[in-house]
Amino acid sequence: MIEIKNLYKRYHNHHANSWVLENVNLTIPPNVSVGLVGPNGAGKSTLLRLIGGMDTPDKGEVIRHSSLSWPVGLSGGLQTSLTGRENAKFVARLYVPEKDVPNIVKKVEDFAEIGAAFNDPVKTYSSGMKSRLSFGLSLAFDFDVYISDEATAVGDKAFKEKASKAFKEKVGQASLIIVSHSTGILKELCQAGIWLDQGKAIWYDDINEAIEAYYQSAGFSDKKKLNYRRIARKYKKMANAQKQKISALQNQITELQEANPNP
Amino acid sequence: MLTQRTPWQITRSVWYALYMRELLARVINNRFAWFWMVFEPLAFIAIMVAVRVVVFGREKVLINADFIPWLIVGLLSFFLFREQMIRLMGAVTANKALYAYRQVKPVDTVFVRSGLEGLLKTFVFSLFIVFGLLLAIPMWPQDWWVVLYAWLSLWALGFGIGLTLSVLATMVEEVGIIFRMLTLPLLLISGVIIPLTYLPHHLVEYLLYNPIVHGIETIRLGFYPDYHTVQGITMQYLWYWALSTTALGLILHLRFEAKLKTK
Repeated sequence: MIEIKNLYKRYHNHHANSWVLENVNLTIPPNVSVGLVGPNGAGKSTLLRLIGGMDTPDKGEVIRHSSLSWPVGLSGGLQTSLTGRENAKFVARLYVPEKDVPNIVKKVEDFAEIGAAFNDPVKTYSSGMKSRLSFGLSLAFDFDVYISDEATAVGDKAFKEKASKAFKEKVGQASLIIVSHSTGILKELCQAGIWLDQGKAIWYDDINEAIEAYYQSAGFSDKKKLNYRRIARKYKKMANAQKQKISALQNQITELQEANPNP
Repeated sequence: MLTQRTPWQITRSVWYALYMRELLARVINNRFAWFWMVFEPLAFIAIMVAVRVVVFGREKVLINADFIPWLIVGLLSFFLFREQMIRLMGAVTANKALYAYRQVKPVDTVFVRSGLEGLLKTFVFSLFIVFGLLLAIPMWPQDWWVVLYAWLSLWALGFGIGLTLSVLATMVEEVGIIFRMLTLPLLLISGVIIPLTYLPHHLVEYLLYNPIVHGIETIRLGFYPDYHTVQGITMQYLWYWALSTTALGLILHLRFEAKLKTK
């Protein structure tokens, strides 16, 4: 169980000192997986960082009655000059007594499935291999609650399926708190939802209701419209990039023409 | 559910994990690390001996001590202090990614770095003594206890100042730049290269405000008890500095822990 009491958070790098999170009161019951939804900048990641203890609130507190993971799939903590095995050992030492370390390292090795590369320095890894290693690290420990920020979005497709299968297997013993823009993943893995809107956090027992509330406030009656907008934005971006390329080429042509007036 | 550990057990395993990580990254996986650790002081000594021959000729400048071992002892002691100060200053930022693991605190990274750097410097110093003796340079400490005491005192002084600066330099970047610039003038006013007895008395009075001088002259007295140094060398003064900066550093770490984590 995680209790959040009178939580306030703001960042001081804005002109106005507006609260990112204002008076948030929530209780996340044990064994309930929660999805955080809301527009960009609503404070989803901030709330997740506060729950995970990576940041401290300006007012209020977070009381954790369960063991919490670090953000799943986090690869910033990997020391790139060390091997995958050495990195796994490091994290294992932080979390379990020395006698259990080899056990954890074995689990990481099995889950990551990167073969002999496990004994190579992390700087030689591809980004896919890095994300496999980070996932393996998170899943090797038996946390009560796993937190994840868009993490299921990294890695190739087959591995993504393996990761979400691993999470599903942990249902009953462990729960999730995730931030994701993919409604598919949220609906698949979560039961409850928190909708963040203008500094307020609203709890929904059903994740579908939370998603619906978010879409309605954003002016989309359903997911389809949101998708169309996203696609339209993407094409606009591509068109702009093409336009820039064309004008650059045109400039080049005029330059060449000026340089060689008589071909 | 993870096994419950006491805070002290957790702290110890964090220190051990960080220590192994730093050791592997800094020494084992970096082939040139050893070379530089020995070569840097060696090159410095060679240059200073050359300078001495140019400036003083063959004239004897020290009473009851040979110039080369005198210089080696002074330089290595100064490097111990300098490396503590500089390396500790960067410890908090260098391990920034690790604060996602909640049990790692900024102050842990400073402790571990100090320990590792100190041990490495001690090892290099022993290496110089052994090789010096093999080359028939009179480097046998006459009073082991004084040498050990002065060495540990300089370590403590470097630790205290480094601990304080690790907070200040992380919060205000310019502090780090200024202190990095200060290392060369510090080398000059610490009596490492120019014997203090060579300087006019009114100048020496001011130089004695620098605590490093006291440590370096004491360690030299441990090697050569009859060596003529200046009046007013006292380890008590050095320890005032070491203890007060350590206390200040710990207070700063306690007060600004949250800021350091997110900086």
